Amino acid sequence: MNKIVRTWKLNGEQRTVEFPPMRRLLDVLRDNLSLKGTKEGCSEGECGACTVLLNGKPVTSCLIAAGQVPDGAELMTVEGLEHTEGGRLLQHQYIEKGAAQCGFCIPGMLMASYAYLAGADDVDLREAAMREAHAGNICRCTGYEKNYGSRERRRRTMAERRETRKNRTTGPR
Amino acid sequence: MSALEQTELLTPNTLDEALRFLADENTRGTLLCGGTDLMVQWEAGVRPAPARVINIKGLTELSEIKMENGALVIGAGVTHAALRHSSLVIQCAPSLAEAAATVGGAQIQALGTIGGSIGNASPASDMAPSLLVADAIAELASVRGIRKVPLPKFILGYRKLDLAPDELIVRFHLAPMPVGAKENWHKLGPRAAQAISKVMGSYRGKVESGRISLFAVALGSVAPTAVRLPEIEQWLIGRAIDAETLKGAEKRTSDIVKPIADIRSTAEYRRWVSGRLVRGFLEHLASPS
Repeated sequence: MNKIVRTWKLNGEQRTVEFPPMRRLLDVLRDNLSLKGTKEGCSEGECGACTVLLNGKPVTSCLIAAGQVPDGAELMTVEGLEHTEGGRLLQHQYIEKGAAQCGFCIPGMLMASYAYLAGADDVDLREAAMREAHAGNICRCTGYEKNYGSRERRRRTMAERRETRKNRTTGPR
Repeated sequence: MSALEQTELLTPNTLDEALRFLADENTRGTLLCGGTDLMVQWEAGVRPAPARVINIKGLTELSEIKMENGALVIGAGVTHAALRHSSLVIQCAPSLAEAAATVGGAQIQALGTIGGSIGNASPASDMAPSLLVADAIAELASVRGIRKVPLPKFILGYRKLDLAPDELIVRFHLAPMPVGAKENWHKLGPRAAQAISKVMGSYRGKVESGRISLFAVALGSVAPTAVRLPEIEQWLIGRAIDAETLKGAEKRTSDIVKPIADIRSTAEYRRWVSGRLVRGFLEHLASPS
């Protein structure tokens, strides 16, 4: 039998799974692990619907053989967003702005947004950079303005919360 | 079901182990790193599923960017994301950093590698022109030893490399951009991100006392491989960048290149736009930076 076993930290939990090593990560997530939030769009790395985070970086899961993902790797799918503050806020902003129409691209959009905004402190937050960070995600319904607006609102709210927390710990001056 | 269910996967822990796998017919397989070309080709049936794949993703020996003996050395497993953010690359081969920043989107940049872009041997490799203007040398390894081959001799034709079945591209050696020189990368395609280029290219140039003292230019997707344009380069040395030079370089370039028509563009457009690209590079070189 051409199968291997891997243990990953998937959405914060240890998960062990057995699969043929060259099966796409996308298929292992959807079919072996029943995480159907990750979508298959173009199957050639163009549309970004299958975006997941591998060790914090957004990747198209249709282009990765699951056997290439080593034991101990950290994976996050759209199902993992609700376990993080930034992820919940991002989902909330997408809903408030009505950023989804058919919704097929949204899991990938959310993951690209989350990865970018949760990145290093020196992440470039100017509009052009924020938009370019989502160049790998294609939407065929709504266009991109509401999505951008949601991300921008999420960024500002997070920054405000951070500021509030900082003031709380350092106390008023 | 995936086309690759029966394919065996070997993951070496070190470069030496990878080379030993390649040396032995019982363990030899197709090398896989970022997967941005191969996974698509296998899944679509463009390439038959191989019996065995050797996974070289994450091999630390292939992931380094450093200066060595005056050359900028870039590991074949360096991703586009790492290239675009490397201060050494931005300083010594800026057009390569620019090219890496426009490959695909963030997802592709996190996966795709410079070694894969060259190893795929497509004329549409976005990495090739910048490597060519930096006189890049490919370093190849096997259990038999190391070979260093200048890029134009390494990329022999469409999907053809001077690479033995037991060899692996380990790194590229680039001549750093001289002090006072400039580089630029430009791509023409249906959109800036994701789409494969119709024509793209890079230049490295320098002006001294009002005259061009250095000019290297390479274009991709105008021939079976990315190519330098030595006739244009020689014609330009010693000239001032004026209207006559711009016009002459544009016309000569369009006359010299021999592109083909394919699904992405026509030969006529590619010929015309190649000239415009070289003109644009000269304007970039002449502009105050």
